[in-house]
Amino acid sequence: MRTDLEQVFRTHYAGVVAVAARVLGSRDSAEDVAQEVFLSFGRSSVPADEAGGWLTVAATHTALNLLRSGRRRSAREELAGDGPTAAPDVADLVVTREERSSVRAALARLPHRQAAALVLRHSGLSYAEVAAALDLSPGSVGTTVRRAESVLLKELNRHASPE
Amino acid sequence: MRHPSEGVLRRLVDEPAGVTDDDRAHVASCPACLRALDTARADAELVGAALAAPRAGEPDADAAWARLTSATAPGAVPAFRPAAPAGRRRWTTAVRRPAVAALGAVVLVTGAGVAAANDWLPIFSTERVDPVEVTAGDLVQVPDLSAYGDLQVVQEPDPEVVADADAARERTGLDVPEVADLPDGVSGDPAYQVAGVVEAVFTFSADKAAQAAAAEGEVLPPPPAGLDGSQLRLQAGPGVAAMWSQPTGVPTLVVARVGAPTVQSSGVPFETVRDYLLSLPGLPDGLADQLRDLSADGGTLPLPVPAELVTSSTADVGGVDATVLTSRNGLFAGVVWVEDGVMTGVAGTLSAEELLSVARGLG
Repeated sequence: MRTDLEQVFRTHYAGVVAVAARVLGSRDSAEDVAQEVFLSFGRSSVPADEAGGWLTVAATHTALNLLRSGRRRSAREELAGDGPTAAPDVADLVVTREERSSVRAALARLPHRQAAALVLRHSGLSYAEVAAALDLSPGSVGTTVRRAESVLLKELNRHASPE
Repeated sequence: MRHPSEGVLRRLVDEPAGVTDDDRAHVASCPACLRALDTARADAELVGAALAAPRAGEPDADAAWARLTSATAPGAVPAFRPAAPAGRRRWTTAVRRPAVAALGAVVLVTGAGVAAANDWLPIFSTERVDPVEVTAGDLVQVPDLSAYGDLQVVQEPDPEVVADADAARERTGLDVPEVADLPDGVSGDPAYQVAGVVEAVFTFSADKAAQAAAAEGEVLPPPPAGLDGSQLRLQAGPGVAAMWSQPTGVPTLVVARVGAPTVQSSGVPFETVRDYLLSLPGLPDGLADQLRDLSADGGTLPLPVPAELVTSSTADVGGVDATVLTSRNGLFAGVVWVEDGVMTGVAGTLSAEELLSVARGLG
């Protein structure tokens, strides 16, 4: 294991859990993914100053795989104690537990790269970083993200975009 | 002026500086685009809220660090993958396997996939952030030239698992490489996979290419005379792979031999088609690399190697120059060479030195 692992871990742990939770909707499953991702990082020679991006991409792929494998923790387990989420200051954006669950089901059905582009963008990566991570042309990231959002919004059953 | 695409509007929500001045100026003065921009912004916020993690405070980094260090304590970690304890992390092995299996399949697929070059890129991309699920459909694919014409797969590889080396030889007509001395940590009998010849025909279409260029907001450079409607025939295979696995099913060593990919053209020479495609605006970098490394004679190694993911070097294997690839995270390596139109590869979760030793000892 590399000697800088603990420092990288403590700097990025909460962020990596957040990325995986975005995909899985579950803190416990997200922490499982984070363990896996940091183990991989520990065996890698990725420079520490590139760790943030690397970990975000690794967490996204790993969490999406877990989501798609159907092996994540049971819905009852993962939703226990999770209240509805709300984006601050945006009253309309209260998303119910059922909606969050169906959004994850839709995420699992998206093509892997499309889902990954969506998650990476919503995890704060720039368009250029998303393009590099997923081997997309920078010009197509916006289109890919938009498409994924349209699919997910259908699941929310109140999408604002015209058909 | 044309309206910017949905993708451009979406980027305008997040990164206005990433959008051209012309597009920004247009949107600012176009009521329809402003409405579409508002919609895109509202959609993005709603999806962001739906993806927001449950409110549960900061995760306990101390407890997580203790868990990580106990999982990596000396003796708990095999050479190249973490222990898979029971309980909470029981899915570890299952999730990891596809990535390793994908690498295992890559040497086979390198030849079995049409224009084999295609397969290295996604494989090493995925390996970098292991584990990533790669389906058979991801592996057996042609360079996605469909934006620039018609791509028709005329022969499928029909990969299958066969019982032994004799059956593999019968199906493919290839001599199955025999490993004289297995490296430490590799034991037992291999499983054999075979695939037939893959063939696809790409027909260039100036109309389609113009559409692809327009989607990027560019104008298609004038195609050389005779290019419109000319065809490339991409062929590879057959292939055979012998794969050794750990008792858990994780592949550790793959030895494969395949017919090297070839490209033939009708109409204009292949190089003309390739160079023109490479000149097109908006061609994804990965696709450009695949094209650049394809050759008409099948004599060169069509392996675009993304330098940021793997290191590449050369070594001598039986008098032939071989390409040695080592993933930067040190988890995987591969050795590949071409001789008389046949590509042979050795790959696995082993060091490059161990794999070279296997390569040089193949019977």
